[in-house]
Amino acid sequence: MNRTFSHHGFYSKLKKHKINLACQGMVSQDLLNLIALSLKRKAVDNEFVARRLFGVVVELAQNIYHYSAEKAYSEKDKCEVGVGIITVGEAADSYMVSSGNMIENRKAAGIKERIEYINKLDEEQLKTYYKEQRRLPKPEESKGANLGFIDLARRSNNPLKYTITQVSEQHSFFTLSIKIKKETT
Amino acid sequence: MENFYIKAANFIPEINFNADSGELSISGESYHEYTQEFYQPVFEWLRGYLATPNRVVTFNFRMYYYNTSSSRRFLEIFDLLEDYQNNHSGTIVINWYYKENDLDMLESGEEYAEDTGLKFNLLPYS
Repeated sequence: MNRTFSHHGFYSKLKKHKINLACQGMVSQDLLNLIALSLKRKAVDNEFVARRLFGVVVELAQNIYHYSAEKAYSEKDKCEVGVGIITVGEAADSYMVSSGNMIENRKAAGIKERIEYINKLDEEQLKTYYKEQRRLPKPEESKGANLGFIDLARRSNNPLKYTITQVSEQHSFFTLSIKIKKETT
Repeated sequence: MENFYIKAANFIPEINFNADSGELSISGESYHEYTQEFYQPVFEWLRGYLATPNRVVTFNFRMYYYNTSSSRRFLEIFDLLEDYQNNHSGTIVINWYYKENDLDMLESGEEYAEDTGLKFNLLPYS
């Protein structure tokens, strides 16, 4: 471990940005269970929002699990699974769930295009698009349902916020942030 | 035909199919990373069960949460049921339960109803 790593610095940084949950590593099913328990315990005052929050964490985590360009061998799953980071932050009126993981540079343009397309759709169009995509057979290379981004956009009622930062000749770091309002109308 | 049962666990729903009464129920949470593999035995049982025509089937969905991948599997279940209703003289009733404040779950039920030719009872519980 790098001796210059400051736990207090890390702690302060999370605190400053009001991030009350941060996990880095293999985003396994077990980790999701722990997050689920912690969220269920926390947001008892609004079960509906808690469920939305959890749904967003699951979709982001499963994106990392299936699509991260960085993999680690999971003893339990007996296969390589994606590695990344998940954070849940809290502001006065909303939660912010974010994910970060490596992607291959050649996939960056496709991801950008898909998110930009989704961000142009209004609520009704998102619904139609979701139903259309669910009816289609999923693309061969897609390991998930190919519905994650649309679902995330629908749950947040906000544009998907993302960044793609090239870090090497092969890889970029991809972050996706989803805001969920505490009060639903 | 034998009944089909899977006990609920973390990220896995309870699945309780009663062959005699025709009451088939899925409840709880479903966010397995490999839903295709998980639901395969469910589909095998259903195909076997629906091979006999004229059955009266009540399908109860009482989900707390499911991921997008499970959402595809559910649509496939509804497609099987719809085909059974239309081509094998089946009678299908879908009971879609949602917690009364859970607008997402209500909307999900409405969307499935729009996507299939099946009758959905959207039933709130407290």
